[in-house]
Amino acid sequence: MTDRTTFVSTRNAGAVPAPAAGRGVPATTPRAGRPRRGRRGGNHVVAHIVLGFGGLIMAFPFLWQIIMSLSTNIEVQSVTPVFWPAELQWDNYVRVFERLPFFSQLQTSIAVTVIRTVAQIFFCTLAGYAFARMRFRGRGVLLALVLSILMVPSQVYLLSQYQLVQGFGLLDSLAGLVLPGLFSAFGTFLMRTAFLAMPAELEEAARLDGANPFQIFWKVMLPLARPTISVLAITTVLWSWNELLWPLVVTTFSDRMPLSAGLATLIGDRTTDYPVVMAASLLAMAPVLIMFIVLQRRVIDGLASSGLK
Amino acid sequence: MTSTSHRPGSSASPLTGRAARARPGGSPDRKGDPQPPARGRIAGDGFWPWLFVSPLVAGISVFYFWPVLQTAFYSLTDWGVFGGWTFAGVENYVALFADPSLYLSLGNTLLYTAIVLLGIPIAVYLASLLNLPGLRFAGLYRVLFFLPYVAMPTAVAMVWRVIFNGDFGLLNHALALVGIDGPYWISTPGAATVAVAIVGLWSSLGFSLIVLAAGLKNIPPEMYEAAELDGASRSRQFRSITVPLLTPSIFFVTIVTVISSFQVFDLLYAILGSSNPVLPRSMSLVYFFYREGFVTNDKGYAAAIAMVIFLIIGIVTAVQFRLQKRWVQSD
Amino acid sequence: MSPSFPSPARRGIAALAGVAGLALALSGCSGGGGAGGGSGEYTAPEDDLSAKITYGVWDQNQVPAIQENIDAFNEEYPDVDVTVNVTPYAEYWTKLQTQASSDTLPDLFWMNGPNIGLYGSNGQLEPITGAVDAGDIDLANYPEALVDLYNIDDVQYGVPKDFDTIGIWANKALFEQAGVPLPEGDWTWQEFQDTAAAISSALSAQGIYGGAGGMDGQTTYYNTIFQAGGSVIDGDTSGYDTPEAQAGIQFWTDLIASGGSPSIQQLTDTTGDQWFTSGKLAMYWGGSWFRSAITDTDLAANVTVLPLPTGEEQATVIHGVSNVVSAASKNKQAAQALQVFLASEDAQQQQGDAGAVIPAFTGTQSAFTESLPDANLQVFLDAADYAEPLPVSKNSAAWNAAETELLPQAFSGQRPVAEVAEELAEQMNAALAEE
Repeated sequence: MTDRTTFVSTRNAGAVPAPAAGRGVPATTPRAGRPRRGRRGGNHVVAHIVLGFGGLIMAFPFLWQIIMSLSTNIEVQSVTPVFWPAELQWDNYVRVFERLPFFSQLQTSIAVTVIRTVAQIFFCTLAGYAFARMRFRGRGVLLALVLSILMVPSQVYLLSQYQLVQGFGLLDSLAGLVLPGLFSAFGTFLMRTAFLAMPAELEEAARLDGANPFQIFWKVMLPLARPTISVLAITTVLWSWNELLWPLVVTTFSDRMPLSAGLATLIGDRTTDYPVVMAASLLAMAPVLIMFIVLQRRVIDGLASSGLK
Repeated sequence: MTSTSHRPGSSASPLTGRAARARPGGSPDRKGDPQPPARGRIAGDGFWPWLFVSPLVAGISVFYFWPVLQTAFYSLTDWGVFGGWTFAGVENYVALFADPSLYLSLGNTLLYTAIVLLGIPIAVYLASLLNLPGLRFAGLYRVLFFLPYVAMPTAVAMVWRVIFNGDFGLLNHALALVGIDGPYWISTPGAATVAVAIVGLWSSLGFSLIVLAAGLKNIPPEMYEAAELDGASRSRQFRSITVPLLTPSIFFVTIVTVISSFQVFDLLYAILGSSNPVLPRSMSLVYFFYREGFVTNDKGYAAAIAMVIFLIIGIVTAVQFRLQKRWVQSD
Repeated sequence: MSPSFPSPARRGIAALAGVAGLALALSGCSGGGGAGGGSGEYTAPEDDLSAKITYGVWDQNQVPAIQENIDAFNEEYPDVDVTVNVTPYAEYWTKLQTQASSDTLPDLFWMNGPNIGLYGSNGQLEPITGAVDAGDIDLANYPEALVDLYNIDDVQYGVPKDFDTIGIWANKALFEQAGVPLPEGDWTWQEFQDTAAAISSALSAQGIYGGAGGMDGQTTYYNTIFQAGGSVIDGDTSGYDTPEAQAGIQFWTDLIASGGSPSIQQLTDTTGDQWFTSGKLAMYWGGSWFRSAITDTDLAANVTVLPLPTGEEQATVIHGVSNVVSAASKNKQAAQALQVFLASEDAQQQQGDAGAVIPAFTGTQSAFTESLPDANLQVFLDAADYAEPLPVSKNSAAWNAAETELLPQAFSGQRPVAEVAEELAEQMNAALAEE
């Protein structure tokens, strides 16, 4: 039975808050419930075919990567593709652990990713809320400043950030690795849009109860923004996990590098052991993938049900 | 219930449990603060906004804005490879706008972006399929589609190189089955950009899909029921209900995709390879920047390129925002 | 709330930028870098020297051998702690430049021919004149061509730690299959062309080729240019506009035209070494480094090495990596001690025995030839006698890019070789003039 509550929100059914619509659109919608299109059940066949085919295309390179990781180097480089190796070379995986300080690097990757994600969530939600809901002088200027950062490719920052980190004496340290990525213009923008879309009434009610702005933020607005925070978390985790150039430049000791950088060092000068690179890449991908599989239901349903904009 | 919507079942103030008394206008509240405008902005909060905003703004200023200023400055100089500079005025820019490589890389980047943007309608369609009620394996499909987004670029690029191989690659093999003679993807100028764009599309589809699928879930079923009762066909419903209500998400995904496509670099480098003869003709804007900055070592010139990239992306984004009023439904 | 960029904000930004820019200009931003170069003085340090140094390299495959060297070094200097930092080649130079710009270069690091000019002439490196004068490094022990490579403006910055030359890796089984006899001893260009074409036509049904060109100058066209009596770079000008260089390029155009080699397009998609390891190429012009790709594989039994064919003269390209010390290093003594050690006969012998590279020190290369005893690897060592160093300049990358862009048109026969070569020479001279 559908929830007969309000319909105004229907006009705002969109997913993650789009940067445009800041019209005080309610952040929540009535429980969508199960879409009542069950009568069209027959079309599932078509859906399965299309989705299955699409899924295969998406997954195919990984399947091949798995096959490559179990082949010999010559088979991988063979001019006519080898679809199944003569012998499954499981020791390629063993060699990954011989060639890389895998667990140290895994730890570093996890540490860097967690720190950055938490920091970004914290800083970006605070700033996003302020930009969306608070009035202060220079708000427009600061906002444009933050936005403009998005338009510059990241390689441009390399030299300057390196000099800054080196100036702070933070080369080769976790702090140096993590530092620039603690702040995100994209995250701020995202959170601002989410907060813009929330109803004013709750805030007002809280104010009337005598809450100070931080309490309003912490107790009222932040919980409402959870779905968007999930999106921010996913993007930050993935970006941070796969980031290559910055960690390579900023670290010297191989056990202080994250996995992404460690993986790249496996690429030799003239000869590369490709199967080992493939195996390492799959192993490096595994943690994030597992995290996504475990959380995907929560994330998607969270994203959808409690109402993104 | 009236027209204000709210979290189901909770009209109480979260802090005290008292029923909220929304007062959009009228009497001043008990603190004596000026009446907040109807849109719910809290005005004149003194130092609070600054408290909220400063960590982020400080961090961004130091680590991002300062480098941008530095770059802008160096674009006006002849910047030595290892430091040291001499002022050069607008020399770099004059040379840049006369450089065919700029327009070439801009063209390639636009082509790349256009192809990757094709992923958005595909994602809309797939998302609608994923959203069918009672669809089995929906979770599995979601994971499969998200895989490329999780992957490490280096390894993936290697696999795709093999797929695109002109003589022995799977793609040409498949095309041959339907009678098409596939080109040498990686070593032909136009085809190379298309090849990289296909991989770009492949890897970005997952994110768009997730965002759009979530957006779809928010469209209340009542709308569809009402339309069904009015006799609208499925495709009509799709066109008139689904797509319009999805436009804010589509807009968001478009902005993000355009900005990141304009900055394509790693993918290009990994798939084509640095000693590829067609690379000079297939380079993207950021690759052009990288080449001038770190290979040819003309850092002042590279800084000018960076500023121009900044300008281009800024203009494109601004245009998108203006157009948005026309096609994006917002309340 | 309007989402478009508010114009007051734009003005605000412009103002901010203007002020900051002015401040920058006035303060005379130093941006680090511009190290004044070292003096090159050297005295062997005491055994109890204590320091922590970093050693920058780009090849993970060589790390075990390097570690052996370092362990031996620590026997003499137990308190010097060496950290090896591997950065993949693709990012190595980007990282190095970033480090150089703030004077944080590794204390000791690898340098190669294309980049020595840039770093040497900008004062980033410490010369080894002191060590040479003290007799700790004797330049006569290393291939002369390479020693000259690391000499910039009469200052020696390092000695080669390894070298590689070019030869032809041949697949004996394919020769047999095609019914073509394996060449003995030295041979001419024409003989090579005929052999390649013969094998290609005999085995064309299986898509097998006799020889292969490609865009890697070091293994292909630089060699033939030298063999024709020409040069790629002559002092400060390009050598491409000479008939000799053009003959060197014509070699490959002829090879592709006769069917002896796959086309340039095919070779871009699938590189020569891949054709060879897949058993689809009978003769591969490759470097001595290729040996590690085929050791312990089935292919190794069928492989032998032939010398490059002779044009007007016999020639090959030689190149090797050198260890150099950063001029701004804070642990110069320790770094130099390591540099001297790595150039010593013992360390070089260790490198040779470990098998990753051919060590540069004369007489330490036996392990290399013994690694594939039936493959006649001696050819690579002999080639050092008639080798020319890899053509480089202070900013090689600038004109390397022009080569990569223009030469395929010559190789594929799309445009006449002379025309392409003239255009290339023009672009190259323009790039060289800017150095």
